Amino acid sequence: MTDSNSRQILSHLSDEDFADREVELAGVWALARSGPEKRAHGSVSNVLLLGAPRAGKTEILRKSFDRIFNEGGEALPFYYALRSSCLDPEAFAHDYFSHFLAQFVAFRRNDPTLISAADEPLVVLNRAAPAEDYVCVRSMVDSFARALQSGNTDSLLRVALSAPSTAATHAGLNPLVMIDNWHLTARTELHTRFIRSLSAGWTWEKRVPAYVLTGLRLLVTELIPPDQAMFDRIEVIRVERMSDETVEKLTRRQADLLGIETTDSTIELMTQQLNCDFFYTRAILNAAASRGLSLKTFIEFERLYTIEVLSGRIGHYLDALIRDAAQDSRAGRAVLEALALVGEAGRPVPIEAVTELMGEHTSDNHALLRRMDAREMLDISYGFVTASADPVLADYARAKYRSEIGGAVRPVAGEELLSEKLKHSYRLMMSRYNREIESQLVELLSGFDFQGVPASLFDHVAYDDRYRGMSRVQVRRALDDEEERVRLPQIVLVHDVGSGEEPGVNWRLFTASGFEGGIYTEANEVLWVIALINSKEPLDVETLGRIDQQVDPGLRGQRAKSGTMPRAVRWYISKEGFSAVASERLSNLHAYRSTYSHLDLIQDYLTRLELGGEARPASEFELVIPIEDDAELIAARTAEQIARAADFDQEAINQIKTALIEACLNAAEHGDSPDRKIHQRFAIDEDKLIITVSNKGKTFGRANGQATPALGAQPVKGARGRGLQIIRALMDEVEFERTDDGARLVMTKYLKRPGSQ
Amino acid sequence: MSTAEIRARLIEDAAVIYPGLYLNQLRGESIERQCRAFLAAGVRRIVINFEETEVINSIGISILLGVIESVNGAQGTVVLSNLNASNRELFEMLGLMSHVAMVDTEEIALLKLGGEALQAAT
Repeated sequence: MTDSNSRQILSHLSDEDFADREVELAGVWALARSGPEKRAHGSVSNVLLLGAPRAGKTEILRKSFDRIFNEGGEALPFYYALRSSCLDPEAFAHDYFSHFLAQFVAFRRNDPTLISAADEPLVVLNRAAPAEDYVCVRSMVDSFARALQSGNTDSLLRVALSAPSTAATHAGLNPLVMIDNWHLTARTELHTRFIRSLSAGWTWEKRVPAYVLTGLRLLVTELIPPDQAMFDRIEVIRVERMSDETVEKLTRRQADLLGIETTDSTIELMTQQLNCDFFYTRAILNAAASRGLSLKTFIEFERLYTIEVLSGRIGHYLDALIRDAAQDSRAGRAVLEALALVGEAGRPVPIEAVTELMGEHTSDNHALLRRMDAREMLDISYGFVTASADPVLADYARAKYRSEIGGAVRPVAGEELLSEKLKHSYRLMMSRYNREIESQLVELLSGFDFQGVPASLFDHVAYDDRYRGMSRVQVRRALDDEEERVRLPQIVLVHDVGSGEEPGVNWRLFTASGFEGGIYTEANEVLWVIALINSKEPLDVETLGRIDQQVDPGLRGQRAKSGTMPRAVRWYISKEGFSAVASERLSNLHAYRSTYSHLDLIQDYLTRLELGGEARPASEFELVIPIEDDAELIAARTAEQIARAADFDQEAINQIKTALIEACLNAAEHGDSPDRKIHQRFAIDEDKLIITVSNKGKTFGRANGQATPALGAQPVKGARGRGLQIIRALMDEVEFERTDDGARLVMTKYLKRPGSQ
Repeated sequence: MSTAEIRARLIEDAAVIYPGLYLNQLRGESIERQCRAFLAAGVRRIVINFEETEVINSIGISILLGVIESVNGAQGTVVLSNLNASNRELFEMLGLMSHVAMVDTEEIALLKLGGEALQAAT
């Protein structure tokens, strides 16, 4: 960390490990940089940073502090984390004031090490102040000492809380105060003080801070009074869960850093099972590293997970969470009873049922339940209690309940948890796959906007009759010529209306409401009922019947709700298609019947319509080969299959293969690829094949635009070095692109149709 | 696929070499060794039959050029046969045509070498 622009001062994670939070950081950054004009006009000047526990709110504040500190501009950053032990006004005032002074002096001296001087006597901080600030700091320290001596809590808090404003006004800076654990101010005098500070008006003579507040989100939002003027000055930044892909990437990186062997499957399983929670993921990885274990198989991961949840870091953290909510062991038992009850129920439980059970162990059961709700250990809504969405907490509570209350000895509780997790792991992986398809469907439906789509995409029998044996590229071309069309409605609203499961098959139902004509009348209203079915075999008629039993009440419910029933369209989408009998039944019902691959083709068709023909490639394939002897031949063979599917003739296929082999050799020869791999992407479009070959390294052969010796009759003894000339001669277009971590070569070969030049 | 074994046979006083599926550096070097051995044994007429050769890379061609020059330098002759269209195109592109004869089949190559030998003898 020698670069002063990237010093890690308060943050715990490096920039590489702090992914997917640029939007939130930008929000805080914008607040810090909002100039005097904006603040003077009373535009948004405070931010509530809201997110689930462990979503990374604290790290966002710390990282924001680091960035503002390192920039050294006109914003003056101050980060303060409230602690339960410092809520007494006098203790708080001293702690807040000394932390501010330490950070102020450190910022003015551009010396982060001074931040740790917050625990030193105030006179020491005063002495550390640079000359231009010495008098100001001295005056602030004196004011604080006088207030302390007077025993007047009011003036003590005033001096402490106004310190950022006083110092910033003196230095001509704009203060940004970031308060963590702000929920701890609830029912304390500090709350009133902070609220007053949030609404203070900015002037040139008194530069009041912009505040960023975070903490337990349910409590933080409750602490803002229902005051319109106050809400005008507050912006909410929501910290969402990180995406699966981001967490998987971070996990891979962390595992590599710790030298833990993993596989893609275990990383995906970890991500799903730990609910994309990187705190839990780090705990597992650290445990694996300290025990020298690998995470290459599901059982290796599940064994370690069980240990971690029962007696490792995760277990200790969740123990602490329970202690924080419960405060004594009897209340702790009440917490476990409540968690076990709502977890076991799997659906909302009336609040009375929960408090009655808890009441056997604590008299303060309602307050305890509220504290659990605030910590998102469960969810209370309209008189019902639901289990938390945190699956690790659920596992912990179940295992803990078995051992602490059910009387099972610890190894038995662990064995049970391990067995449950192993049985559940396959389903968990499938649920990820299902979620991806479901979101694809919802996105597709949301794009329905009166387009006309080839009818065979809604009828798998007609599709098979027409296109069986054709490659995807050929189908894509033929679809354009199909005359019969299904006119899509404009979809306004998509609802998830439930799911079902049987051995070997699971399904999810959606309704999509919209209009069939351009005029929004009842007569034009339409309701699509869609069953998305993930079945290992073509769907049989019996299962179809059971799915219908779930679809029909949904339709009746719609009728009951609105009094009228719009025209209903049924659309069944089965991964592996339908048995002949099931298909016939759907035909009799006038239902649409598609497969997952049709979904993709519909999406592709709509995208092409939207872009007026310029659309994403019909098919894309990716291949990664190691840099080792003959691996390029594997790439060439892959290219051959792809090019053949795209209707290229043998001559063109051979040219493509030769060009690709040269591209791979170049990538291997010129790159300093740390992963010793060559990445290739093959994209088939209407009339061309685009091959992208990338490596991670310094160069990729000759730079673009550089002159290449003419090909001619003079053979060069070293034909090597002519790889790029060969590529250029054999392909129609060749381009080089620099990337952040290497280079890529993009080669295009056009399909020559009969009659074309 | 990683083996660099090269098949070769002697037909009277001519050698026929089969580079195999993929002419790359490894197989190019094997051809080079094989040719050196033939030259050392007094064989001066060499056919390289590309019938099984799917692809050739530029390193393989580079080595092949060296082989052709060595054989020519030893008053020998190399004839290439059975090249597929793209490999022939590649050789043409790199200017090999002026250095070596290319014919359609191994038989023609052997006839051609036989004729040349006869001519040289008379």
